[in-house]
Amino acid sequence: MELVLANHSSYPRVGASREQQRLRRAYAQRERGEISPDDFSRVQDSVVAEVIQEQAHAGCELLTDGQIRWYDPVSHLAGKLNQVEINGLLRYFDTNFYFRQPVIKGRVAGNGPLVAEDFRYARAISPRPIKAVLTGPYTLAVSSIRQTPVYRQLSTLVLDLGEVLAQEVRALAGAGAEVIQVEEPAILKHPKDLRVLHKALKPLNQAKGSSRLALYTYFADATPLYESLQELPVDILGFDFTYAPKLPEKIAKLGSQKVLGLGLIDGRNTRMEAAPQVLPILEKILPRLSGGLVYLNPSCGLEYLPREKAGAKLRLLKELRDAFLQRGKR
Amino acid sequence: MSQAKLKKLGLTLPPLPTSTVGSFPKPDYLVEARARFARKEISQKELEALERKATEFWVAQQEAIGLDVLVDGEQYRGDMVAYFAEVMPGFQMGGLVRSYGNRYYRKPIITGKIQWPGPMTVKWWKFAQGLTSKPIKGMLTGPYTIMDWSFNDFYPDRKSACFALAQVIRKEVETLVEAGAKVIQIDEPALSVRPEELPFAIEAMRTVTDGMPAYFITHICYGAFEFIYPGMLRFPVDNFDLEMSNSGLDLIALFKKHPFNKDLSFGVLDVHSHVVETPELVRGRIEKALQVIPKEALWVDPDCGLKTRTVEEAQGKLRSMVAAVREVRQALDKAPKGKRRRIEVGSVVKKRRKKIRKHKYKKMRRRMRHKKK
Repeated sequence: MELVLANHSSYPRVGASREQQRLRRAYAQRERGEISPDDFSRVQDSVVAEVIQEQAHAGCELLTDGQIRWYDPVSHLAGKLNQVEINGLLRYFDTNFYFRQPVIKGRVAGNGPLVAEDFRYARAISPRPIKAVLTGPYTLAVSSIRQTPVYRQLSTLVLDLGEVLAQEVRALAGAGAEVIQVEEPAILKHPKDLRVLHKALKPLNQAKGSSRLALYTYFADATPLYESLQELPVDILGFDFTYAPKLPEKIAKLGSQKVLGLGLIDGRNTRMEAAPQVLPILEKILPRLSGGLVYLNPSCGLEYLPREKAGAKLRLLKELRDAFLQRGKR
Repeated sequence: MSQAKLKKLGLTLPPLPTSTVGSFPKPDYLVEARARFARKEISQKELEALERKATEFWVAQQEAIGLDVLVDGEQYRGDMVAYFAEVMPGFQMGGLVRSYGNRYYRKPIITGKIQWPGPMTVKWWKFAQGLTSKPIKGMLTGPYTIMDWSFNDFYPDRKSACFALAQVIRKEVETLVEAGAKVIQIDEPALSVRPEELPFAIEAMRTVTDGMPAYFITHICYGAFEFIYPGMLRFPVDNFDLEMSNSGLDLIALFKKHPFNKDLSFGVLDVHSHVVETPELVRGRIEKALQVIPKEALWVDPDCGLKTRTVEEAQGKLRSMVAAVREVRQALDKAPKGKRRRIEVGSVVKKRRKKIRKHKYKKMRRRMRHKKK
């Protein structure tokens, strides 16, 4: 079984040093009109390059661009669509992070690339493969305010967003993304809508070409939905184990038809997991998995941690994998 | 309704008392001084002199604008959690974490047993109260929010960290009350994040407020209230201070379904917008509040702390708010008195009067028809 070390999605964009805070200063300068859009973009590019290097140095094998250019996981994508306006702040699930809520004014439609250009840049400068990340159609839909009769039914919006995101998946696949991760934390809070999500993911699956499509959930316990999630038209399923104490048992019992992304390392707390906490779970789960591949990743995006702790968590992943492999040899 | 409690505490406030959530923008000289202090270019004493100057400015501003219950403006605080974590044994300051857009805060890490270091806010409360005859609120952050907004490397779980913090905040409340504070605000903006944890958050707040002779307000914002309402009404405080305007007043629909049975500080100013609301806009928001909250239970304030605005924006917004409240108070005075539980103003009154006239007309027509027969 190949254990691939992967970042989840986001990575802290500022750090402790003045140099690591240049993007923060550039944002402030942009707000005051003191920096040109090109210069601002150059700062973003340099920070993307920096966080890619950090992930690689930490031993990560499947990297992300850290979502450095994203305002938040919702408005960054929804704000680029036609018929969408961006409203006030709302807490992002149970975090102390806030996103701007989209307001849907009419039938949504794509209006150019969402993240494909950013992916191309990251891929070109990265020493290792880059994973593309999108927020999924269901999470985007339930995070939005519907102010149009077109979307009296939530499901209509979810399906339309599925079509829009499918275009992006096609663009990402064309740009060479080996793994395209679709994040759907919201579905765990609304399990009754799994059928809608299933339908909405179909066009994404059809558009993926030779890429592998991953569905990642987090910030809630996926155990009760485990069997249903296995039915979704995706190749990889990612789970947040910090909310799901019984999930290892369930996986050990049922196995998995999909490749799994194991979020055993808490991406939201600074406490470093010890080997005796993590290795027994791997021992329990791995023999039940097929496909010869599993991803070890943090439980969620690492932007909820200070920069130095985010790096430490990725290094910890490597230490734990090494310890696990050593154990196997013994 | 907690009017009786306020009276018992010796506080007489006008209808629809106006207040603010706590923080005000720091004047440029203080922002610069804090940066210089961080670089060790000025002493603690020099910084504190400027913090006092800024506090005096804001207390005077609040009086001039005409607010009823004042705050010290938190000119000496950075972040609402970090301020406490920086002085409490058991905490270490962590690195920067983004909260939204380009806003970051230092998220503390619990690394040991949390202890009360002695009074953390009383000195500033006394200083501010010494500047005015109007009541100054004691301002604290609640145990659940400090726990939720900190990393935890020490306690086995969130609940035990929260309870340890409740003991500490209780001691701070006791010292504020001892110093003379009658209105104490304990902010719990994280309260709505995990509905399943509401029971222990309530228990922790009970530890903080139980039996204390003060009027307690809790501020909550930017959350998914639909998941904790009406359960949150069991929270042991007198007044909920809620962000309403940023979320398009959508909480009103919830209150229509299940009546709100505490005092409510209704957020009428969007603190994340540079636009200064007009008194008309604010008045409209107050009128909507009065549709669901009795006037005796309604306070008026901004959605959240104003520290992210400029000094001028904060002043402009508060002036609009006070002007709107004065208009509504006048309208309330003129409104017909009767058995109605809620007194409505403006367009609501007009609609209600129209309805009454229509009803009377129909009644009269029926009588006439009856007489003819």
